[in-house]
Amino acid sequence: MMTETSVQVDFAGLRLKNPVMTASGTSGYSDELGDFMDVNALGGFVTKSISIRPRRGNPTPRVVETDAGMLNTIGLANVGLDRFVAEKIPTLEAMAEAGVAIFVNIAGTTIEDYVAVTERLARERAIAGFELNISCPNVKKGGISFGTDPVQVEEITSAVKEVTHGKVLIVKLTPTVTDIRVTAQAAVEGGADALSLVNTFTAMVIDIETRRPLLADRTGGLSGPAIKPIAVYLVNRVYNGVTKGTDVPILGMGGIRTASDAIEFMMAGASAVAVGTASFVDPACAAAVIEGIRVFCDRQHITDVTELIGSLE
Amino acid sequence: MPEAIKRRGDYEARVTHNRQLGKLCYRLGLEFSGDAARLFATFQPGQFVQLEVTSLALPPADKIPAHLQDQAWRHVMLRRPFSLCSVSATPTTTTIDIIYYLFGPATLRMITLEPGHRLRVLGPLGNSFAMPENKQTALLVAGGVGAPPIQHLATELAARDAVSQIVLFAGSKTIDDLAIERQDTPQGVSLPDLEAPNIAVHIATDDGSAGHHGFVTDCLVEWLQEHGEGPTADLVLYGCGPEPMLRVLAAIASRNKIDCQVSLERYMGCGMELCQSCVVEIRTPQQTETIYKLCCLAGPVFDAREVVFEEAH
Ligand SMILES: Cc1cc2nc3c(=O)[nH]c(=O)nc-3n(C[C@H](O)[C@H](O)[C@H](O)COP(=O)(O)OP(=O)(O)OC[C@H]3O[C@@H](n4cnc5c(N)ncnc54)[C@H](O)[C@@H]3O)c2cc1C
Ligand SMILES: Cc1cc2nc3c(=O)[nH]c(=O)nc-3n(C[C@H](O)[C@H](O)[C@H](O)COP(=O)(O)O)c2cc1C
Ligand code: FES
Repeated sequence: MMTETSVQVDFAGLRLKNPVMTASGTSGYSDELGDFMDVNALGGFVTKSISIRPRRGNPTPRVVETDAGMLNTIGLANVGLDRFVAEKIPTLEAMAEAGVAIFVNIAGTTIEDYVAVTERLARERAIAGFELNISCPNVKKGGISFGTDPVQVEEITSAVKEVTHGKVLIVKLTPTVTDIRVTAQAAVEGGADALSLVNTFTAMVIDIETRRPLLADRTGGLSGPAIKPIAVYLVNRVYNGVTKGTDVPILGMGGIRTASDAIEFMMAGASAVAVGTASFVDPACAAAVIEGIRVFCDRQHITDVTELIGSLE
Repeated sequence: MPEAIKRRGDYEARVTHNRQLGKLCYRLGLEFSGDAARLFATFQPGQFVQLEVTSLALPPADKIPAHLQDQAWRHVMLRRPFSLCSVSATPTTTTIDIIYYLFGPATLRMITLEPGHRLRVLGPLGNSFAMPENKQTALLVAGGVGAPPIQHLATELAARDAVSQIVLFAGSKTIDDLAIERQDTPQGVSLPDLEAPNIAVHIATDDGSAGHHGFVTDCLVEWLQEHGEGPTADLVLYGCGPEPMLRVLAAIASRNKIDCQVSLERYMGCGMELCQSCVVEIRTPQQTETIYKLCCLAGPVFDAREVVFEEAH
């Protein structure tokens, strides 16, 4: 179908061809989804968390399904900075050339780790920006402890901001706090160009036969449709309380499976959205969401998708 | 040169049959046409598929076994991994057969499938059993629900004349738990799918309901004692079943210096290397440390010498 609708959005100074990205840790390092969809159709791609050294992550079981969701405690398993640069950057370069905004998600246990990884990658042409994962519930040191303390959020954001060489810095917030506006504000004050929310919610499943937690690491992060209404609410809270009227966009995520889900996030205040857990079930999900947004705009005679952003009455 | 076909994909299959084999065991046939037929015709023993079962309804309450009434209430979001027991191709279609055992909400939903229904199937996934080179005898050990890929391997070995003799040991707690099609005759249990001049079958059950009363690995040890005078370099061992059984198998293989491949199960979030949930602990050649490999990518088949088997919980 021919359409006049523009689905392009501005995101912290980048022009995205559409508002749909992949969520970190759910779509691999580069073109892993390529067997199932055209990865070059994505508005943006966020890599799995990269840490300065390889991490093997936690013992199994590392995931368990729950009603309308799943818990994971992968523990930021990743190939580490050196192998990432050597093996994955070439593919990311090709994707970047096709117009996909590439964001590398960065994890660490100290501020120095985050800075070192960012500094090294800031030289890469393929990379449009970084997503700071200060919100992973599954590592013992760093991770979430940074993300819940506004002082540390600001400190780490400003430290990393100094070495981004003008690339976009997204700070990914944890929902496991009393008032997410406080950490959001701290990130903005630290110099965040964009905010990404939400990461997973800390949760537990118990095996009643053995009286033990089902996951080897006891707790895990809840993702999937189960968290969507909470995530939409939190995006709206941060939009109204922190970013509205500023030039800091929100990358919204949490349980997005359909274009309708994505549009809810945009109406709540997200400039772009990310598909996470849904890709495990339907690896072409992100492509379907992009198409669905177009169809919705056509049906509602919306010529510019940015009209949806924060349009909640 | 043959036209390149995709490595894997997400396709719609048509259900051809869904027959009950035992109290909790069913055999499902899925037919592909077009590109998918060509792709699935290349399916090797040991590889697996991910079935999309979220969209299936629960069977009526009276069809749900009493011990699964609680489990039936759980929602299904993730796909479920299954091996194949057979693959048959015509010039235009390919049919794959799955034998599944009722464990919980997903497999319960699968019993509602009827001929003509459509189902999304992602595959082929994972590696496969390596075909033997310069071996006389292949020893195959199947435990319970691990039987389907062993059946597939046995028939493939027989059809390809890969070895001069195939000896298959099939065991389960009780005969009804053995995921292979069987016939109960006055002479005992026979396995019609495995009737071939070069396949010898030995059955064992923990409760003595058929064949040898005891562990299937005992039958293997006995066979080795009777036949193992010759060089064990002529033998190759394959196994799929519960991890404690595979651990014993690996020990037997190592004691007798027999090459051994085992197919492992891990909880799989995606089956396509996206989520990193499915790791298997692997010994490195130096034996100084272990690494994690993805069961859905590097496996499910591993060299038994490399695997650090999981402790039973
Ligand atoms: C490579 C591989 C091949 C398999 N082949 C077969 C087969 O040929 N026949 C067969 O009957 N079963 C097979 N299984 C097991 C099958 O996947 C489970 O029986 C099925 O997932 C159960 O789902 P459920 O909802 O009915 O039960 P649940 O109550 O969800 O689970 C029952 C058991 O299955 C395991 N399980 C649940 N979800 C998953 C998942 N997403 N990934 C892996 N394990 C899971 C659980 O750990 C539990 O032990 C295979 C598993 C793997 C990993
Ligand atoms: C298996 C799994 C692994 C994840 N790994 C990461 C990660 O490495 N870094 C990160 O910032 N977020 C990670 N996440 C969080 C997701 O990016 C996303 O924030 C969250 O899952 C909510 O979105 P969803 O419901 O669409 O999955 C992971 C999520 C899952 C399910
Ligand atoms: S099951 Fe997701 S990576 Fe193996």
